[in-house]
Amino acid sequence: MPEFSRRAALMQLGAAGLAAMTPGAAISQNPFASFDAKPWAFLTPDEARFLAALSDVLIPQDAFPSASQAGVVDFIDLQLAGPYGKGADLYLQGPFGEATPEQGYQAPYPPATLIREGIARFEASGTRLADLDASGREDVARRLSEGEGVDLGDVPAQTLFDEIWSLVKEGYFADPIYGGNKDYAGWRMVGFPGAHAYYTDFIGRNAPYRAPPRGIAHVPGRSRSASPARGRPAAPIHPATEEG
Amino acid sequence: MVTELPKTDVVIVGAGWTGLAAAKELADAGQRCVVIERGDWRHDATSFGAPEEHDELKYARRKGHMIDTPIKTLSFRNTSDQTARPIRRLGSFLPGKGLGGAGIHWNGQLWRPLESDLSMRSHYTERYGAAVLEGTNVQDWGVSYDELEPHLDFFDRVCGTAGVAGNLNGEIREGGNPFEGPRSADYPNPPMTPSPPLQRFRDTARAMGYHPFQMPSANVTRAYENPYGAQLHPCTYCGFCERFGCGYFAKADPIICIYDVVKDHENFELRMNSHVLRVETSADGKTATGVRYIDARGREVFQPADTVCLNAYALWNVHLMLVSGLGTPYDPKTGQGTVGRNYAYQTMAAVSVFFDEEVWSNPFMGAGALGMTIDDFNGDNFDHTGLGFVGGGYISANQTNGRPINYQPTPPGTPSWGAEWKRAVRENYLHHVSLACHGSSVAVPQNHLDLDPTYVDDFGQPLLRMTFDFPENDRKMSAYVLSKAEEIARNMDNVRAVGTSNNAAEGQGYSVVPYQTTHNTGGAVIGTDPATSVVNRYGQMWDHHNVFVFGACLFPQNLGYNPTGPLMGLAYWTLEHMKTDYLANPRPLMDA
Repeated sequence: MPEFSRRAALMQLGAAGLAAMTPGAAISQNPFASFDAKPWAFLTPDEARFLAALSDVLIPQDAFPSASQAGVVDFIDLQLAGPYGKGADLYLQGPFGEATPEQGYQAPYPPATLIREGIARFEASGTRLADLDASGREDVARRLSEGEGVDLGDVPAQTLFDEIWSLVKEGYFADPIYGGNKDYAGWRMVGFPGAHAYYTDFIGRNAPYRAPPRGIAHVPGRSRSASPARGRPAAPIHPATEEG
Repeated sequence: MVTELPKTDVVIVGAGWTGLAAAKELADAGQRCVVIERGDWRHDATSFGAPEEHDELKYARRKGHMIDTPIKTLSFRNTSDQTARPIRRLGSFLPGKGLGGAGIHWNGQLWRPLESDLSMRSHYTERYGAAVLEGTNVQDWGVSYDELEPHLDFFDRVCGTAGVAGNLNGEIREGGNPFEGPRSADYPNPPMTPSPPLQRFRDTARAMGYHPFQMPSANVTRAYENPYGAQLHPCTYCGFCERFGCGYFAKADPIICIYDVVKDHENFELRMNSHVLRVETSADGKTATGVRYIDARGREVFQPADTVCLNAYALWNVHLMLVSGLGTPYDPKTGQGTVGRNYAYQTMAAVSVFFDEEVWSNPFMGAGALGMTIDDFNGDNFDHTGLGFVGGGYISANQTNGRPINYQPTPPGTPSWGAEWKRAVRENYLHHVSLACHGSSVAVPQNHLDLDPTYVDDFGQPLLRMTFDFPENDRKMSAYVLSKAEEIARNMDNVRAVGTSNNAAEGQGYSVVPYQTTHNTGGAVIGTDPATSVVNRYGQMWDHHNVFVFGACLFPQNLGYNPTGPLMGLAYWTLEHMKTDYLANPRPLMDA
């Protein structure tokens, strides 16, 4: 059983169906409630809920897990607690001032602070992202991504969005040793076989490569089932093991 | 308190490709060489082994092998009227750190310049008239293809390069690049195996009358021993090449190809974790006396030397000259001065080709230099009459680095996140290839490097400041080459969607955020006129005859090719003249 909360996942499933029928309906009374009990390395449970809600808009559940179901919030928590979050690879000397988008990251603090302050500014308005329904969450994601229609004070909304979206993709597709990509969700979804890679005899062949994914820590995963033909349902979340 | 060490014959700044090649050649010539390297010691055998090295997050995203910006970065602006801001996080280009430098995380795409590239100003002037170069600082290299050829060939042998010679001593050969200059010998190893998308690109390009060939590759294709006696092994097509070191000993790099065969030489000494602050000069300013650096224990040290070789990354060589007061800094307002002049980059565009389910690209299989290329639109291989630009680029179907965090191909019109994005990634990941348009970059008066007035590095020295935007010439060139690539894509079978992207699209400023290439060139260029070059045609500084400069900082403008081949050809050319001419009788090798 993956570590993501079965309850939260079920709520999500139900909510998605509900939202489809009745736009605007509340997603649940207490989404991602199990986050209160988790031993987070950096995040507060409320921050974790914000990130879960946002990341599940970016990578929602379909036949493959959503971002939070695949452990993306756990991944982000560990990343923000570590050297990346602390800005170990960022030049953070001042002065800070007006800059163009072409000049890249110019926030006067590292990613962990950016995300903490960004969430705090957003929720200070009295709205908690996790409490919004599906269309409400999507609307916030769109406004953050465009950097418009959302007031985060001096926190640059687009920078915040880009940083989170980057982390979400990393959490979904990075090696599972980092806490995300649980049960190789992301790798199975696309058909990436992982870190153990010898293709000398296959490189010229026009054929699917069906080895099950295997990460750095050698734990073999289940293989992707046959590539879903267009127009038919995609592979199930837990397709039957084909090999190994 | 500065510790002064005993004098050495040669001090070499940087232990990458050019620094280690210099150490090997000069140590063999009896010169006592001290190599000073900022980063850590490492070795392919102990540092790059799979599966641990196959960690996309650690190396491709967190850039584990790249320079740490808190220690070394530069500031950037598009134009001189803007305030430059520091590149706080690496993006557009990725200088390396540690033994082997950026040479351990390259792709291994190993090219040589066209004959006409090296005499770009005279060639275009003669064929089209001088007006086509107006507004540019395009100039001749001062060294000819024939002079460089033996050295380009030697480096092919150092790397065990895989490919087919398209021009063997003047004879044009099937399967190679018919536009290249004559080679004195074929590649030491046979070409790589093309994947299904590359086979399709080849067949379509050929049917359209173009001349496809397998990209020359320093990912070697069979067991190989290089001229120094180093052993390389065949590539496994593992797909972890660019941004990674190769634990298979299959991608030629400075550690396995050169360091291993010089490390025990009695004339070789390597000092790691040592950061050179400046090159010191004599009282009359005519020569360098050695280098001052902070050693691994934090002490400030002066290493005197008869000869100083600058072998740092292209940008850092220019920085070191500027903070040391070597040469005259370039002033874009007056056009005077040369250090920092003619900074250029690489103009990259791409076509995204989405196949139907009949074609399996399996993009996780690949190699850094696994490509099928046409050179029909590179350099002056095509008629530029009436086009309004000079230069060009190769078009290459590349299957290089299809790892899932960075490689998420979606057809045009797909939202950038959400359910549709997710479905598109899932449906296209195994059925996609990119055609790279690897374009040249002309030097123009406004693009340059100097010292930042505000920001400093960890050692209190001013940051290098880059002022750069894509010149109009290159925007036109890139749009043209991209249109040709798109035509090929649309003619390929089993293609259900085609997308394009162009870093140099009209109206779009150069940005340091998205990765483009680590091909920063110029700033300390080679030439025959001290008014427009920092070093003479032998790589020797005009102003300080015992300082020799190596690397892509020498390029007067950038080629439509990857720089490692050309810059190593120049390195061996310089080293030959040092060994056979200069060291026995130190003096300026050309009259200013």
